[in-house]
Amino acid sequence: MNKQGKLYTIIFTFIVSFVFVFVLAFANDVTKERVEINEKLFEVRAFLNAMDIVYGTDEEALDIFEGLTEEKIKETTLYSTTVENEKIYAYRFSGNALWGTVNGVLAVNEDVTRVIGLDIISHNETPGLGGRIEEKWFRDQFRNEKISENGISINIGGDGDYNHENSEFDSITGATNTSQSMKTIINNSIKKLKDLLGSDE
Amino acid sequence: MMANNTARGILKDNLWTNNAIFVQILGICSTLAVTNKLENTLIMAIGVILVMGFTNLTVSIIKSLIPRKVRMIVQTLIISFYVIIVDIILKAYLPEISRALGPYVGLIITNCIIMGRAEAFAQSNKPVISFWDGITSGAGYMYVLLIIAFVRELLGFGTIFGMNVLPESFIKWTIMVMPPSAFFMLAILIWVFKGIMEKKEAK
Amino acid sequence: MAPDISPFILFFASIFTSNILLANFLGMCSFISVSKDYNSSNGLGMAVTFVLTITTAINWLVYNYILVPFEIEYLRYIVFIIVIAATVQVLEMIIERVSMNLYMALGIFLPLITVNCAILGVALFMQLRDYNFIQSIIFGFGSGLGWWLAIMALAAIRKKTDRAPVPAGLKGPGITLITIGFMAIAFMGFSGMLAVQ
Repeated sequence: MNKQGKLYTIIFTFIVSFVFVFVLAFANDVTKERVEINEKLFEVRAFLNAMDIVYGTDEEALDIFEGLTEEKIKETTLYSTTVENEKIYAYRFSGNALWGTVNGVLAVNEDVTRVIGLDIISHNETPGLGGRIEEKWFRDQFRNEKISENGISINIGGDGDYNHENSEFDSITGATNTSQSMKTIINNSIKKLKDLLGSDE
Repeated sequence: MMANNTARGILKDNLWTNNAIFVQILGICSTLAVTNKLENTLIMAIGVILVMGFTNLTVSIIKSLIPRKVRMIVQTLIISFYVIIVDIILKAYLPEISRALGPYVGLIITNCIIMGRAEAFAQSNKPVISFWDGITSGAGYMYVLLIIAFVRELLGFGTIFGMNVLPESFIKWTIMVMPPSAFFMLAILIWVFKGIMEKKEAK
Repeated sequence: MAPDISPFILFFASIFTSNILLANFLGMCSFISVSKDYNSSNGLGMAVTFVLTITTAINWLVYNYILVPFEIEYLRYIVFIIVIAATVQVLEMIIERVSMNLYMALGIFLPLITVNCAILGVALFMQLRDYNFIQSIIFGFGSGLGWWLAIMALAAIRKKTDRAPVPAGLKGPGITLITIGFMAIAFMGFSGMLAVQ
């Protein structure tokens, strides 16, 4: 058969494409479940981290997550648990940052006077800059942070504000826009939680 | 362009004399973006090496069957195939890194070096040596980027592979975390390497 | 879910503050080689803008109406590239037939663009950030304009640096990269102009 002819070309391309797509479909199928579990784990870990619940292996994390109470208030799903006689609520938020949607979890105490913790599920910010919102030093600023009347405010500059009574957090150097967006997202989430949990402040 | 076609000759050529990055200035798109962290750079570079090696191998094996007209497209298909495999493996077994690398894994497809090597070498050489050529080109590419990442992570974050190395009092050079520094670092590296090359030639 | 970004901010950001070349490193190869010549830079920039806008739109349609419903998202790399290659081919034929002038200006650059990482990159970013159709077009168009702007600026600067006394080791790619680095810093300054949501 003429290797440069049209018929051969078409047959060749078909066979090559077919083989490739077949192998890829197979690979995709084989790993599908794992990928789904990985995705779920990102969420589960975010919830547990925000609520300050310690976990060991991935199985443990999934188990603990199953054990959380799911409450539906006014069409919104919250997860709650009781730690040392205090009830904690975790809310999955979705807000806008500079480059796209930031998905994460905010955990608060029962009367929404303190943030228990914050964790990020996914974002599209620049790695090393806005992307630093997922780093521990940034999130630890919100551990047990007091919520003032006006919510949480931001301090531009600084290296991490670990005073948990001042209702403030430091921005990420070089990522002011993303940091400001996080402030807006957090405060919106706090407002929503106050509304859902019936706090009147 | 090649010094000679022995395994050693090719190794030397790809790692030094004809290094993809500082001599040919090719294929820097997809990786400069992640050079602010050593871990990401390493995984990305390994991905590139694997894709290059296997692409060269595959192209070399079926080269006599590929019709001239669709040569470029078939090569692109082969490259995309291996890149998707790498992407699937990352998503399944290294999800954190897959997230960090984001779309840059897919961009390996348009990495000019891979297409370039397939055209220049794999099209006219035997499978095993083509595989070697792919791996060594990728290696030449990898170590240059690791050097850049090393400097950027060290000065920008104070860490190496995520481990704190510099004392707390070290004021981080945040510029190193941002895009412009990658350009500067690359320029400096090219300067240094060219200088070394010229000295060697003068001897 | 598509992010809630104002089209104006998206447009501005894709040209300036998140320039695909200077902030995202996409499209470097032809950027460095073609910026030697001012006129070619103009032609290439135009071609890139053109192709980016059209292919991003088509890729959005293909992704959301073909790949997602059939659950073959993992094939997006191959599909996007094929769409880009096909679009460029078709565009080349149309332009050659419709306007000889336009063909002379940017037609010759079209084949070069297929392997330009910027085109595929913008499509991938668009999919990752889950933009809706209008946002995709704005993003594609803005990114193209940003690329065009960057290559014109670099070509203009290179006219000067080519004649300047640059140390031997830096001549050519070295000084070009340093120039690009400075441009990247300059463009970062634009972020102060963006109003925060």
